[in-house]
Amino acid sequence: MRYYVQRVALAILLLLAVSMLTFGALNILGDPLFNILGPVAGDVNNPDSIKMIALAKKEFSLDRSLPVRYFIWLSDFVRGDFGVTFSSTGQPPVSGVISERLPRTISLVFLAQMFAVLVSIPWAIIAAARAGKISDRISTINAFFLVAMPNFAIAVILKFVFSLKLGWTPITYMADDPLRSRLFQLLLPALTIGLPVAAVYQRLLRTDLITTLQQDFILLARTKGLSKTRILFVHALRPSLFSFITVVGLNTGALIGGSIVAETVFRIPGIGSTLVESIFRNDFPVVLAIVMIVASAFVVINLLVDFAYTLIDPRVRR
Amino acid sequence: MSNTSVTAAPEDIVVPKKLGFGFWLCVIWVGLMAFIAIFASVLPLKSPTANFLNSAQGRPPYAPSWSHWFGTDKDARDVFSRSMYGARISLTVGFTAITAGFLIGGTLGVISGYYKGWIDRISSFGFIVLLSFPSLVLAILLTSLIDRNLLTVSLVLGLLSIAPVGRLARAATLQYADREFVLAARQIGATNRRIIIKEILPNVAIPMSSLALLGMAVAVVAEGGLAFLGFSVQKGITWGGLIQLGSDASKTLQNAPWIAFFPILMLFLTVLSLNFAGDRLRTFFDVKETTL
Repeated sequence: MRYYVQRVALAILLLLAVSMLTFGALNILGDPLFNILGPVAGDVNNPDSIKMIALAKKEFSLDRSLPVRYFIWLSDFVRGDFGVTFSSTGQPPVSGVISERLPRTISLVFLAQMFAVLVSIPWAIIAAARAGKISDRISTINAFFLVAMPNFAIAVILKFVFSLKLGWTPITYMADDPLRSRLFQLLLPALTIGLPVAAVYQRLLRTDLITTLQQDFILLARTKGLSKTRILFVHALRPSLFSFITVVGLNTGALIGGSIVAETVFRIPGIGSTLVESIFRNDFPVVLAIVMIVASAFVVINLLVDFAYTLIDPRVRR
Repeated sequence: MSNTSVTAAPEDIVVPKKLGFGFWLCVIWVGLMAFIAIFASVLPLKSPTANFLNSAQGRPPYAPSWSHWFGTDKDARDVFSRSMYGARISLTVGFTAITAGFLIGGTLGVISGYYKGWIDRISSFGFIVLLSFPSLVLAILLTSLIDRNLLTVSLVLGLLSIAPVGRLARAATLQYADREFVLAARQIGATNRRIIIKEILPNVAIPMSSLALLGMAVAVVAEGGLAFLGFSVQKGITWGGLIQLGSDASKTLQNAPWIAFFPILMLFLTVLSLNFAGDRLRTFFDVKETTL
């Protein structure tokens, strides 16, 4: 029990540190006033604009000190109110922007993970079964190539081949389209994120599989006369999945970050592309909310993976 | 758990105890890129910013030809020489970033692994905080708030490598901190500083050095990603920026794919070389994968 409490406390502490750093950096290094009022914010000699600046400061509570503003923001944030966007009207609220766009990013990451897992498992099994042979070498080289390809380059290549030359997939994402065609539009971005990840998973699972295949119980299964396919898929795969599942789990948070590029290239209005736009517009509350959501996802998934460990191996709790 | 599974090398795969032809090929490529990056302005390259308008060919972009090996972009600028000049910022940022990351992260990691106690707790917590941000998100966040030049972008990417490098250095130091030769050195009255520099550092440096190449590959990719999204060095040519320029408008990408694809090729070959050479060095020095 003590272990669980400690882990949760550490996670909360982490998120507090992340939020303080982000909040502080955004407020100290950037100038939110300029974004709300435009050029008026710099015009400090004109009495009219001084009045407007004072009003805006009050409205967005910029007249308070930094720690006070942080606590106001924090108490709102934990209650699900992410504040108002920094624009002249303050509309739409940040929560609205997030709830509209987050599902797209989540489905994109989910598709990418599904693709990576479904591809990497059979790929690793085939490679491990022929470990050291020429086909395994070729697959290792392929994996190397995929890992060395930055995801923005993959995005550009996929867009060129499948959208522009072959015309198989649409270029832009339409939020009003029916679900089926929207899923179809998510195909290339999901591939962009999923392809290099699949190569990473394959390399990991292949190593673990090869180790498992050296064990005595595999030899026993073989002498029992079981088919090679059955040994590979049933007997060897399951004990080899331990670190694979860990890495897949831990990667989910990182993939949300990876979707920034895919969403930007394929023009999908998810939280990744929104983060980039909001940074260019100095829309701090949106940036802060997205950073916090991504970091929370990251920390919570880490926590869940750790807890899953304790179920598999109680020694972890110490 | 994974410790035992990864370190037990399968018997039927013989890891050759030599670096091999591929390794040297990669080293040559990276060396060539570094040479071009340093001497770009002395080499007989076309100007990367001049417009080579040619009325006989109509409106640019021009396809690759003898006079322009990689073609030109839509301002009739030579893509070949731009790709060569692009190596400058990409490699400089990659190199500076990983150097900074190793200096800061390595020092922190070795110190916290050696002294343990509260220093270790604080720096370990700092590492976890840094790792709680997805790296691209943190990089975008920081570069958006600063004046982006060669040094600041390098330092931001260096900051990102502090946590992974630091954790690795800490783990490697922990392995040696209680070994007999360290205890012996302490018995004969060596100071902590001397022990760290003379006893610990040489042992930790070997596995770390093979990871410097892998880290540099990551930094080069990260710089490319930042430039692609518009968050890298403001003035100057980078591979990521060139790729962004060639692919931003679907029309450009469709009609003049060479503008984006040649920089992609350069970036890909460089990252591949760094990865491959780093991986080879790692197997050569037999560094356990789990310490990564």
